[in-house]
Amino acid sequence: MSLKDLMTMAKPAIELRLKALSKVWKAKPIDCFQCMRCTSGCTSLKLLELKPHEIVDLVKFGFVDELLSSDIIWTCATCLKCKERCPQKASPYDLIMALRNVAVEREAKTPEFYMSAVSQILETGLLQSVQKVTTHEMKTLDRDNLGLPKIAYPDGKFKEAFMKALGGA
Amino acid sequence: MKVAVFWGCRILTEHYGYEMSVREVMPRLGVELVDLESASCCGDPIKSVSDPAVTYLSARILAVAAKTGLNDLLVPCNRCHLTLSEAKYRLEKDPETLDKVKTLLKEEGLKYRTELRIWHTIDLLYDIVKPETIKEKLKTPLSDLNLATHPGCQILRPSEIGRVDDAEAPKKLDELVQILGAKTIDYSEKLDCCGAALLSTHQDAALSLAGTKIKTLQSYSVGGLVVSCPECHLMYDVKQEAASTTVGGKLKLPVFYYTQLLGIALGVEKRKLGLHLNQSPVEELLKKHNLI
Repeated sequence: MSLKDLMTMAKPAIELRLKALSKVWKAKPIDCFQCMRCTSGCTSLKLLELKPHEIVDLVKFGFVDELLSSDIIWTCATCLKCKERCPQKASPYDLIMALRNVAVEREAKTPEFYMSAVSQILETGLLQSVQKVTTHEMKTLDRDNLGLPKIAYPDGKFKEAFMKALGGA
Repeated sequence: MKVAVFWGCRILTEHYGYEMSVREVMPRLGVELVDLESASCCGDPIKSVSDPAVTYLSARILAVAAKTGLNDLLVPCNRCHLTLSEAKYRLEKDPETLDKVKTLLKEEGLKYRTELRIWHTIDLLYDIVKPETIKEKLKTPLSDLNLATHPGCQILRPSEIGRVDDAEAPKKLDELVQILGAKTIDYSEKLDCCGAALLSTHQDAALSLAGTKIKTLQSYSVGGLVVSCPECHLMYDVKQEAASTTVGGKLKLPVFYYTQLLGIALGVEKRKLGLHLNQSPVEELLKKHNLI
């Protein structure tokens, strides 16, 4: 029984498949021959049941909708072992990132962290605001107290360019 | 030697111990740091959102760095180092993306320059400064310390684009620790990921990854762990207590940035290295060995 038989209710989505594959630069997911070397070294296999070789196979068969609506594409720890070790340069890592990009475009399930990262960078240029840190003696310190220089934030023109880049310019 | 330095978001806004120790040790080893005139995110967290936006953000940093007129850029964060290296590699090989990026950079009057060399703390110290130079300047050798190193994922892979050390058998960080007089152990979990990228979305899994590694290291009886990335430090140091609840058992392993240890060995005062900001018991270990 093939993987396709197991998913009898699902229909392959050819366009979505092409879309996901077109977002992968240089790597060749289509060349995957299912040796599972990626999965055998995957950081997220044991705890989150991520199996990179299956992700590649599902995309090859066109079951992209199923992946986009699942949490599984968000379980990658980005350790890059699959990309490094793949004998076919299929890079499951790059495909997973491409699938995440498609999920965002289609407004499918996206963890809030990533969208708030975008708004934060739009607002200040950086991923997060300056944090205060507490020492063991319960002293609260910041950059000023620690003698670190002021942060040079980018100006408004950066925001415009970043918006354009997000829009695909 | 003069190098431009790009810190990235995590170091500038939270992981001050790394920034402080890099700022202290580099000039003592003949490396003058030049801050960029404006700093924005390297693009790493946006990889999941929009690939073109990542390339723009990285190219912007490279263009701002080029404005310093220097040929070398130090990027102490592993994730920023990967993202900038990926962008540099892509812009060399993908003229279409390069054209788009150039147009976006014009908005700020920035120009992309290809010849910039990107360094991480580890390879700058190992390949340019060289361990011999460090050895000559040692004031307080860290004899008696038995440590483990965790180079982190992103400075090692993917080797295709050129990384800081060998993807499967990294040795530079170990050698840099050994040159300070300390011993390092060889252990089979060395390449295990800290889990930082999962912290915001799958917290238990992330803490379990970090906690399991710390627990294993404690069973090997090492005195401490040495990292060179703010994200790994976040997981092993800041989140160590939370991770001990997740994996069970008491976790109490001192976790240092390499540059903090280097600073101690070079005789820098501990406050200037931000050691008091580490959450793990680093000062206890150093006191035990009369190093502070």
